[in-house]
Amino acid sequence: MPDSPPPDDSGPGFGAAGWKALVRARLAPLDVDPARASDIVDELAQHVAQHYADLVASGTPERAAMETALAPLDDPARIAAEIARADRPRKAAPAPPAGSGSVIEDVARDLRYAARLLMRAPGFAAVAIVTLALGIGANTAIFSVVNSVLLRPLPYADPDRIVLVGDREKDASAGNVGFITFLDWRDRSHAFDQLAMIRSWQTTLVTDAGPERIAGMRVSSNFFRMLGVAPAIGRDFRSEEDNPNDWRVVLISDGLWRRRFNADASIVGRVLTMNDRQFSVIGVMPRTFEPLISEHFYQPAEIWSLVGYDRTSTFACRGCQHLKAIARIKPRVSIEAARLDIDAVQAQLRHEYPQEYAQETMTVVPIGEELTGRVRPALAVLTGAVVVVLLIACANIANLLLARVAARERDLALRTALGASRSRLVRQLLAESVLLALAGGCAGVFLSAIGVPVLTRLAPASMSRLAEAHVDARAIAFSAALSLGTALVFGLIPAIRASRVNLLEPLHVDARRTARAPTSLSRRLLVAADVALAVILIVAAGLMIKSVERLIGVSPGFDPDGVLTMQISMVGQKYATDPPVVATTDRILEKMRALPGVDAAAAAGQIPLSGNHDCWGMHVEGRRVTPEDLCVERYSVTPDYFSVMRIPLKRGRLFTDHDRDGTEQMILLGEETARALWPNDDPIGRHVRIGDGTKGPWRTIVGIVGDVRHQALAAPPTPQMYTPQAQLTDSFVTIVIRSYMDPTILAGEARRAIWSVANDVPIYEVAPLTDLVSRSVGPRRFLMLLLETFGAVALLMTAIGLYGAISYSVAERTREIGIRAALGASRADIARLVARSGLATVLAGLAAGIIGAAAVTRFLEGSLYGVTATDPGTFAAAVGVLFAVTLAAHGIPLVRALRVDPAIALRDE
Amino acid sequence: MSDDRELRKGSAEVLILALLEERDRHGYEIARLIDERSNGALKFHVASLYPTLYRLERRGLIHGRWVEKAGARRRRFYRLTADGQHALDAQRRSWSAFFAALNRVARIRHA
Repeated sequence: MPDSPPPDDSGPGFGAAGWKALVRARLAPLDVDPARASDIVDELAQHVAQHYADLVASGTPERAAMETALAPLDDPARIAAEIARADRPRKAAPAPPAGSGSVIEDVARDLRYAARLLMRAPGFAAVAIVTLALGIGANTAIFSVVNSVLLRPLPYADPDRIVLVGDREKDASAGNVGFITFLDWRDRSHAFDQLAMIRSWQTTLVTDAGPERIAGMRVSSNFFRMLGVAPAIGRDFRSEEDNPNDWRVVLISDGLWRRRFNADASIVGRVLTMNDRQFSVIGVMPRTFEPLISEHFYQPAEIWSLVGYDRTSTFACRGCQHLKAIARIKPRVSIEAARLDIDAVQAQLRHEYPQEYAQETMTVVPIGEELTGRVRPALAVLTGAVVVVLLIACANIANLLLARVAARERDLALRTALGASRSRLVRQLLAESVLLALAGGCAGVFLSAIGVPVLTRLAPASMSRLAEAHVDARAIAFSAALSLGTALVFGLIPAIRASRVNLLEPLHVDARRTARAPTSLSRRLLVAADVALAVILIVAAGLMIKSVERLIGVSPGFDPDGVLTMQISMVGQKYATDPPVVATTDRILEKMRALPGVDAAAAAGQIPLSGNHDCWGMHVEGRRVTPEDLCVERYSVTPDYFSVMRIPLKRGRLFTDHDRDGTEQMILLGEETARALWPNDDPIGRHVRIGDGTKGPWRTIVGIVGDVRHQALAAPPTPQMYTPQAQLTDSFVTIVIRSYMDPTILAGEARRAIWSVANDVPIYEVAPLTDLVSRSVGPRRFLMLLLETFGAVALLMTAIGLYGAISYSVAERTREIGIRAALGASRADIARLVARSGLATVLAGLAAGIIGAAAVTRFLEGSLYGVTATDPGTFAAAVGVLFAVTLAAHGIPLVRALRVDPAIALRDE
Repeated sequence: MSDDRELRKGSAEVLILALLEERDRHGYEIARLIDERSNGALKFHVASLYPTLYRLERRGLIHGRWVEKAGARRRRFYRLTADGQHALDAQRRSWSAFFAALNRVARIRHA
C-alpha cells in the first residue's frame, strides 16, 4: 500500500479504475445493457471510494476503512439482482407515455416479481401447481379424446352430408335393406346425390405366409365416389364391374398393403386367392382413409370388393335385409327432408308389395352420429367430470391465494401507502396466478401426454376413433387457453380482495385478530364449493361402480369359466356344400375332445356376446304368416354345445348325434321364445318354419332351454332358438372347448388340432369366453375407471383444500385459542372451537353437493345398470367418504391447536 | 413493527425524496446525510441505496444525470422531478396519518 492516499476519491494505490475493478469483481454480472452496467459500477465505485476517503480522513486505519467501505458488497448476487431489477435498460430517446413496449416491460417485470415471490414459498407453489396440473391434465386428456372422436372431421368430402338410410330400429339406428328395395330407393328418391350400399364381408386371404382372415366390405361401385375419396394407387371401381360375373376386383387398405405385400408398388394387377377364388387388385386406399366402424356395424375393413348382385341373385330379394344403404344428401336438403323423401318412397313400396314390407318408419342418420353416437353420452359425462375436477382445482387455488393475500395484507397496505396504485397491485397478484397457471398447464400437458395412451389402451374397441387420440397442437392450445382462463378465475377474486385492503387497518397492532370473523366469507364459500363438487363426482363414480358390480353379477345364462372359444371359417370350393363342412367340424371336435384337459367340445354358428346377430323370423304352423312374425336369434349347434356352455335344459330333450341331415328337422327354443309364442300352451311337439314362412321344412320343437344374454349383459334376453348344425349348417363356426384347466393354455394345442384336420381354415378370435363377457362390460368399466380416477383426484384435492383452510383458520386464531386456554377452556372446548370453524362450511357443501348430484346424475342414466341415478345408498356413501375426509383434514390442525401454549399465543404480536 | 424490508424500502424512498427536495445531490451525499441527520439510527449503504435510487428514477420520481467539473471526476447527481414532488407530498400525508394512528393506538409520540 502506498504511504499516502491520493486526493479526492481515488483509492490506496489505485485510482478510479482500481476502485471500479474492485467493485466489478465483487458484483455478480448485471442483467442490464453493458454501457449502463459500466455506469452503475462507476457510480458504486465512486461511492465506495469516497466512503473510504472519508473514513481514512476521520482517522480510521486504511485496512479497516477499506473493509468497512466494501462490506456492503458482501452479497454480490443479491445486490446485482436487486440493482438490475430496480434499473431498466436506458433508452436513447425519452420513452413514449405508455407505448406498447413499456406495457410488455411492465408485464415482464410483474411476472419476474411473481416468480421470485413464488420461489420464496415453494410449498404453496408446489401444492398449487400440482393441483392445477391434475385439473388441466385431466381436461387436456379428455379434450384429446373428444377432439379425436367427435371434433376431428371424418376424412370424407363434406362428411356432414353423408347419411345412413334405413328403417328405424329400436335404438334409433338405420336398419338393413334388401337389394331390390335398394334399387327402388335409388330410382325413386330425390333427396340424394348418390346412394351406395355396403355389406359385411369376411374373406380368407391365402398367400405364401399362410391363410389370414380379413375383414372386408362389399360395396356398390359408387361407394368411394359417394364418400369423396379416391384410391392412392390404382383406380376406383367401375359401374360395369358391379355384376355377378365381373365383381371380383378389390381395393385394399394402406395397412394391408404394407403388412401383407411389403408396400409393393406394382401391386395393381396382382391376383389374390381368397376363398378359392381369384381377385385382381385394382388399387390401394390412402393411408388416411378411415373405414366405417361402429358398434352395430362392421369391423374395420381392409379390403373392398363389389356387391355384384343383379335382380336374379339369391340374396337380392326385397326382404333379404343384409345390405346397408349409405348416401350423400343433395346440398341444401335437410336431414328431415331426406327422411320424408325416403319415407314416401317406402310407403309407396309397401303399398305395391304389402307381403314384403312391415309397417315401419324410415330414418336418416348422419354418418358422424352413427360412428360416434354410442360414445357421445360417455364423453359428455367425462367432460362434465373433468370440468368439475378443474373447478375444484380453481376453488382450491383461489382459497390458497386468498390465505396468502391475507398473510400479506400488511405488505400490500404499506405498498399502497407508499404510492403503489391498486391496479398495479391487482396486476401483480394476477401475474402470480398466471405464472402458477402456466406452470400447472405445462405439467398438465405432460400428465395428459402420459395419460392419453393409457386411456386409449383401456378403452373398449367399440369406441370408434378413440384409438387415434393423442395430445396434439390443438389439445395444447386448448390447455393453454384453459390455463389462462383458470388463472383469471382463481386469480381475480384474491386480487380484487387484496386491492380493497384498508390502508391503515393492517398496520395497526393486530388486536383485531380475536375480534374479526376468523375466516372470510369468500374462503368459506370456496371450501363449500370444493366439497359440493367433490360430492357430485364421487356420487357419479359410486353409481358407475355399483352398475359395473351389478352387471358383473348378472348371470349371462351360461357359464363362461373354463371355456375357450375360437372361430374358424370353412369357405371355398371344398366347402361349397354342407356335408364336407359337417364332416370337417365333426373331425375337428373329435380331435379337440382327445386333447388332454378337455372335458367337452362343440361348435356353434354364433355364440352369445360375440357381437354377431342371426335373427330369423319364426312362423308357427297353423298361424298366418306376417312380416311382423317374431324375430328369433338362431344358433346352429352340435349336440355337446349345451354341456360346454352349461345352458340348462328346462323341458323336453337336447339334440343328439342322430339329429342329422335326412332325419326329422328338430329345433330347441329359448324360454323367452316359448313364452312369447305359446304363452299358455306347451310348445313341445309343435312345428315351426324359420326364415321364409311360405316354404322350407317344418321343424319340430323338441325341448326348451334357458335363455342367454346375447347382445350384452345389460340387455335382457332376446328370443332364441337352436338348430342342429348337421341339419342347418353354418360354415363360419365358433369352436367352444370346456376344460378344467386355464383354457388359454389350450389355445396352441387346439390350433394344431384344427390344422391337423384342415390346414386351409383360418383360425381367429381365439379368446376365453370370460373375455367376451368382460368385453360386454367394457364401455361401462371404462367409464367407471375414469370416473373413479377423477373422483379420487377430486377427493384428494378437496382434502388438501380443507386441510389448508382449516390449518389457516387455526393459525389465524392461535392467539384466540391461547387466550381461551389461559382462561381455562378445556381441550374439548378447543376441539369444538376448531371443529366449528370448518364443520358448518363442510355441511353446507355436503348439502349443496347432494342437491347438485341429484340434478346431474341423470345424465349418467344411460350408462347405469341396476341402480337408479338417485340411489340413496350411493349418495350416503359419498357423503360418508367426504365426511371422513373432513375429519382427517381436521386432525393435524386440531393437534396443533391443542398444543398452543397460552403464553406463546399471547406474545404473538 | 416487524423488521420489514418493504417498510425500510418505503421509508428510504421518502427520505431520499425529502433530501432531494432541498437540492440536487449525488448518492454518497444522500447516504451520508441520512446517517448524519438520523444520528446514525438510519443507515443506507451501497447495496440498499442504489437499487432504491434506480427504482425511483425508473418511476420518474427523480432524475439522475452525470455532471463533470473541471479537475474532478464526473459524478451522478439526482434531482427531484415534479412527479417526485407530488409523490413526496402524498407520502408525507400518509406517514403523518400513520404516525398519528400509531400515536393514538400505541402512544408513540413524535418527539
